[in-house]
Amino acid sequence: MLVVLLLVAAALSLATIQPQETTGREAGLALGQLAVSQFGPDQILLAILADSDDDRALHQGLLEALGPSGVKQLVVAQGDPSAARHLLQEPQAVSPRAIICSTTTSEWLVVRDRGTVNDKLGTVNVLVPVRGMWPRFLTRVNILNIANQISVISIIAIGMTLVVVTGGIDLSVGSLVALSGVLAADFIRAYGGGVEASASTMVIGCLLGIAAATLAGCFSGLVIVGFGVPPFLSTLATMLIVRGAALQWTGGESIAALPDRFVWLGRGTEFGIPVAVWLAVLLFVAFHLVLTRTVLGRHWLAIGGNPIVARLAGIRVGAAVVLTYAISGLLAGLGGVVLTSQLKNASPTYGDGYELTVIAAVVVGGASLNGGRARMAGTLTGALLIATIQNGMNLLDISPFVQKIVLGMVILISVLLDRWRQHVVLCATG
Amino acid sequence: MNWRVLLAATWLFSIGGCGNNDKANTPPSAARPLIGVSLLTLENPFFRVIGDTIKQEAAVHGFDVIVVSADKDAAKQSNQMQDFLVKKARAMVISPCESKAMVPAIQEANKAGVPVFTVDIPCREEGVKIVCQVATDNLGGGREAGRGMIEALGPAGGSVVILHFKQAESCRLRVQGFREVIEAHNAKSSSKVTIVAELEGGAARDLSYKATEDALQAHAGVRGIFAINDPSALGACAALEKAGKDKSVKVIGFDGQPEGIEAIAQGKIYADPVQFPDQMGREIVKAIVAHSRGEVVPSEILIPTSLKRQVDVMKDKVADITKETNALIEQSTGKKK
Repeated sequence: MLVVLLLVAAALSLATIQPQETTGREAGLALGQLAVSQFGPDQILLAILADSDDDRALHQGLLEALGPSGVKQLVVAQGDPSAARHLLQEPQAVSPRAIICSTTTSEWLVVRDRGTVNDKLGTVNVLVPVRGMWPRFLTRVNILNIANQISVISIIAIGMTLVVVTGGIDLSVGSLVALSGVLAADFIRAYGGGVEASASTMVIGCLLGIAAATLAGCFSGLVIVGFGVPPFLSTLATMLIVRGAALQWTGGESIAALPDRFVWLGRGTEFGIPVAVWLAVLLFVAFHLVLTRTVLGRHWLAIGGNPIVARLAGIRVGAAVVLTYAISGLLAGLGGVVLTSQLKNASPTYGDGYELTVIAAVVVGGASLNGGRARMAGTLTGALLIATIQNGMNLLDISPFVQKIVLGMVILISVLLDRWRQHVVLCATG
Repeated sequence: MNWRVLLAATWLFSIGGCGNNDKANTPPSAARPLIGVSLLTLENPFFRVIGDTIKQEAAVHGFDVIVVSADKDAAKQSNQMQDFLVKKARAMVISPCESKAMVPAIQEANKAGVPVFTVDIPCREEGVKIVCQVATDNLGGGREAGRGMIEALGPAGGSVVILHFKQAESCRLRVQGFREVIEAHNAKSSSKVTIVAELEGGAARDLSYKATEDALQAHAGVRGIFAINDPSALGACAALEKAGKDKSVKVIGFDGQPEGIEAIAQGKIYADPVQFPDQMGREIVKAIVAHSRGEVVPSEILIPTSLKRQVDVMKDKVADITKETNALIEQSTGKKK
């Protein structure tokens, strides 16, 4: 599957090669040097910049490159297009040698049609940062974007992989996302004073939500093991009960009274990488080790391979199976907290349909729904593949209806590939 | 295994290629600014019209437009807005799935200096900058519905049921306007119109069907039903037909979607305050262009509805047909020349 992922990424890179804009300080330096070399150091220049971090950095770079004498002759408008309009209409803007723009502002109509704003400016040149060709897919921002968007799904997919390894399935994860988010947010609102909540209240609220989701997972597992109810039905029941409970608890309304700092988990970055991505990566590594290097992991694989043989071999099948559902619940709860943090808002409708995306990621990753075979690395690849294809199709402006068809076919093809590979292995060994 | 993988990859490649070819039809997009549009759902024709109009109108002014469907999922919409930032969109238009949940995404766009506009569903949260909100005048539309109801019931008046969808602010405004007009009417007229029940119709056909059946059981003398949108009104019509009361009970809907207009033409729905999604799309593009030119943009634009009864719908149809025939005649005479 890794090969497919890399091929898809390569294909998307080729398909999204577009002029890429230089931004920030670098662009400012280049523009300033260009202006000085073309017009000399003491010419009147206008700069039209947007009210964004990128353009503030560009302004800094520009000031550095122009030097002290050039800066005196620089007139800057920073803000929205109406600020630019004011500047262009001012009499002091009468005869600049050039107008310096960021790529953003160069596309504003007030700049493009500057002749209609002030007819003396119609012939004045606009200096814009040079554009290089680079695939839009392969930018740092976009890659982090994909990773961040898929973090919730991947965290849940870890738990689902464990459940699938033992031959089960967990349909309740989507509802658990909603339950945990709603409980956490409600606790923070009720006991932490909402927007002014302290860090400890936030942590307790999140732990409470996650604990509730874990208990619900335990409940599904106990029903499966205790009464021999098929996992599909047991978790279907939990899914409905939990969704109903979340809706009932909140009266169908969403909870938005959350402190600003609460978004750290879902939207913050540490060492240049989103916190949610760190969390997902750490969990993947940890559970990969559990699955491959511990006795417990071997037990899960054995149970999925053949539960009867596993029991005869002395494995406590019941306890091990309940544990997988508890972990799945726990991680779904964690996913819910991350999602709530990303949106700074908890709603009982969150996570609707997540179970299917998560199962798709696990299956695309090469796990067998019959149990006994799955790898964490595979699941991670599966989740990334789905996110990459979705993101790529968005970048390429493919209709949302076609996107659904493509995703369905990707799932189908990866399962067929997997079947075919198994067949080859069987032929070779048998 | 390798050749199969290759096959899959070439297939994906060809999809990528298709996307590119589509773009090749429009002039080179190097310097065309981009507008990102994320609508509540594209399964509803109402939003498709908004999206299509924005595309058409914006192309005239030299903009490229991407329209995506948020499928009523706030998380998905938030991701789509992040994608727009990556794609360096110069403006964003959204109909928020849940206005509170969109606050962080809108703030991110504000921080990147990208202007945000809303269409159909406004966002009135604190701490977000929205350049312009375009929506239907729902309060005014509700008043029109009230006047339509009074007219439909005539001098006898009678009892009326409302099929509500309380979650949506737009529907609350519609019902508020409806009630205002009815109360004002009752204060000065002898033909009283009494609202006997306000039931949840879920803004959907099936739920409204059940709610209407229940209402007919509980209030045998019902003479009118006001449904807050067309699917809801059509559900009510179906229940009335089943109960054999479709002639005696008047239905007022809202929207004026093709199905609703058809039902008015057939006399099933008495009248609809009609919304104009195409006008919304045009107003949004006007606002984007004005903002980009640095002109003053109103912070809110309300599009009035227009009450359409059977006669009006028929007139519109005749007008359409005349227009088409005229066009045909012109074409054929033009060819002869």
